[in-house]
Amino acid sequence: MPFETIPAIPVPLTAAQAEIMSQRQIKKHHVAIVLLHWFNAIVWMLELATGSALVVGPGYRFMPLWYITMMQQAFGTSANLLRFHIAVGLTWTVVFLAYAIFGWRHYLHAEVLRKEIGIDADDIQWLRIRTLKLLNRTKESLPPQGAYNAGQKLYALLVYTMVPVIMLTGLIMTFHLISTTLVAWAMVLHFVAAGMVVSGLLVHVYMGAVFPEERPAFYSMITGLVDELYAYRHHFKWWHEVKVEECKWAHEIEDASLISEQATPVGKAGATTP
Amino acid sequence: MARYAMVIDKERCVGCQSCTVACKSEWDVPNGHARTRVRPAGTRGTYPNFSSVFYVSQCNHCDHPTCVPACPTGATTQEANGIVTVNKDLCIGCGSCVVACPYGARYVSPATDKVDKCDFCAARVEQGREPACVETCPAKAKMFGNLEDTGGKVFDLVYREGAHRFETHDIAIGPNVYYTGRQDHIEMAAVSFTPHPPQVLAAGFVWTKLAKKMVFLAVGATFLGQAVAFFRQLAVGEKQFED
Repeated sequence: MPFETIPAIPVPLTAAQAEIMSQRQIKKHHVAIVLLHWFNAIVWMLELATGSALVVGPGYRFMPLWYITMMQQAFGTSANLLRFHIAVGLTWTVVFLAYAIFGWRHYLHAEVLRKEIGIDADDIQWLRIRTLKLLNRTKESLPPQGAYNAGQKLYALLVYTMVPVIMLTGLIMTFHLISTTLVAWAMVLHFVAAGMVVSGLLVHVYMGAVFPEERPAFYSMITGLVDELYAYRHHFKWWHEVKVEECKWAHEIEDASLISEQATPVGKAGATTP
Repeated sequence: MARYAMVIDKERCVGCQSCTVACKSEWDVPNGHARTRVRPAGTRGTYPNFSSVFYVSQCNHCDHPTCVPACPTGATTQEANGIVTVNKDLCIGCGSCVVACPYGARYVSPATDKVDKCDFCAARVEQGREPACVETCPAKAKMFGNLEDTGGKVFDLVYREGAHRFETHDIAIGPNVYYTGRQDHIEMAAVSFTPHPPQVLAAGFVWTKLAKKMVFLAVGATFLGQAVAFFRQLAVGEKQFED
């Protein structure tokens, strides 16, 4: 596709175009990210299940007693429950440390974060219209979105701030770092940070697993691919970027092949160098 | 089932600290801390009618311990025999129970980073032995026994001779370490070592009064939002894309 034919703003598609686009796939997630996502999902399930059963002091407790008793019995003792919670938490921390080190340039560099999860004017509009749409209060169409929509961005911002808090406070409690006072506060922060993520997690899971319009996003977390039609309709700015990039490559390949056709083998190419 | 208690005869106690040392060596108590210690409360009278007053401080294994509900992880519990114990595998050393004890009986051990305190030498008692401090006391000022053993010395001292509990009008949680001896000595010690009101850590206060509500509100709000969206989805029906 030549540059000129890539639309700069979303335009209505013909049925034929939509059909073709729905057949074409674009790569959205690296296989490492797909694996990391599901590893993370399992860790969260285990840590929430065990962690919520570890808080038993009256006043502190937030889960019903029957649940806590059930978990204690499932693990034999509360001490086992705590050991399991710590073992899984430490594994999680080490895995994400590796992700942070090896994925820094690709996923966590400030420029990448600004582009992928920074909130822009379109995002503000998107949040407003999306909310109204859910309540059936508007017919406006959603503004074009990048690789991640404003909702996903907000969730990412929440997770990116809370996860380091959870990991740090977990380490402070596990190894009793610095002081007793700090351990006491780490306990509170660990709970609040996890609670905030859970409140976002409800939306994340609903959107991913239940909400029909985002179903391709769910499958993309398995295959790593999304169909072009979904990308065009839900993540236009990202789709545009991918297409421009594809064009550049096509042109480069074309140019390269032109150059190689013109280039005749000159044996004395290096002769002029002293 | 037993209900353990200790009686300390203040008339016999000369403040030699043998119990302190025996306990420290029995339980490897780190320097600067103690599970039990003898604290001087002052002197009475003038020579030759002169006496020193001592108070033996340790965990009282109270009937209604304030440390048990203060523990967020459930590490501190009370056994059926009345002994209040700390499960070291569950304790994270947050110090919530330390400030909750009116008798200052608990400390966070710098050796293990867990809370430690007197447990009436539960491990020894299980083997049929007396607590280390009781066994060591050269004056036999410390007595240990079962309050349900009606023929026992401890039962006699507590229920027949009216041994004293260190309580105040406000802080009456049923300590199971009793004191006998001269009334004026007991009163003097009671003035010097009045139990202080149980306290709550700032972090604990924030958890119970603020953090829990905040998390419930946040999770509840998104849950409701999702429920609205879900029912709308059911009502409207599914469609792959909006056009």
